[in-house]
Amino acid sequence: MKRGLSAMIATAALFVSANAYPALNQDMNGLIEKFQKEADVKSFSAEDGRKFFATKRIHSKGEERSCSTCHTADPRQKGKTVVGKVIEPMAQSINKERFTDPKKVEKWLKRNCAWVLERECTPKEKGDFILYMTTI
Amino acid sequence: MKTNRIRKTMIAVVLGLALAAGTNAYADGDDSTHDHGNHASYNAVENHAYTQECSACHYLYLPGLLPARSWEALIKGSDKHFGENLALDEKTSAEILGFLKSNSAEKTNTEWSKKIMKSLGSSTPERIMDVPWIIKEHREVKNAFKRPSVGSASNCGACHTRGHEGDFDTVKVPK
Repeated sequence: MKRGLSAMIATAALFVSANAYPALNQDMNGLIEKFQKEADVKSFSAEDGRKFFATKRIHSKGEERSCSTCHTADPRQKGKTVVGKVIEPMAQSINKERFTDPKKVEKWLKRNCAWVLERECTPKEKGDFILYMTTI
Repeated sequence: MKTNRIRKTMIAVVLGLALAAGTNAYADGDDSTHDHGNHASYNAVENHAYTQECSACHYLYLPGLLPARSWEALIKGSDKHFGENLALDEKTSAEILGFLKSNSAEKTNTEWSKKIMKSLGSSTPERIMDVPWIIKEHREVKNAFKRPSVGSASNCGACHTRGHEGDFDTVKVPK
């Protein structure tokens, strides 16, 4: 019985350590590993992700834009779209559904990087951002 | 023992009454709000991709509020959607357009969709608030759009509390 249990724990530990980012599910680990390869880095930085989220820039339309324009300065809070619709919190600690579906994550990164930065985000920016959102 | 049983019976009776009252109140509410006539035949339509992609940012406009040609223009220009690139993949945009076209104003059998179609002429509005009949209908409440409780004219649901069901007659303008 005891041996069976420890074998189970060992197997579970193996399974967990197979994912480099334990906060993320397997599919999301796949996505972040892809970003890691593209960015040619060994790991991402939640601190860089935090700075990226807060960085304000002037859009070509003349207005100041950042991630926090819609998501507020604290990703654990609810945000608002430009037409006033409520956005559920981004932080996975508050909103368990966030950062579980790679397809959805990539779609929104594409959409919102274009809105804030007027370009695609780099793999490093994307990885840091995801790490920040899933650890805060 | 006996008092216990009486108490239980009383609780059951009170609960039963409360339940009956609740059902009754619901039925009453239902009757009064559905009795508007011009939307009685309307069946609210839904599509998962449309809800996912569009209502994340704004009110989920009923497809019957615009003609097919407007929806076509909007989806075709989805990379420049009022200044935003919606990043829709081909499969998703085809699904959404299919849904919008098969439920557009031409295909919707309500008083409001007929009035929308009639007022359009040959125009192809890309904003619901550019439909002549809808502009006319809102001329007296224009100032309410700026209220923080409303936000903007794109937030139909702030006043049309049953708009998502195709009932635009039930109106409650928030203070």
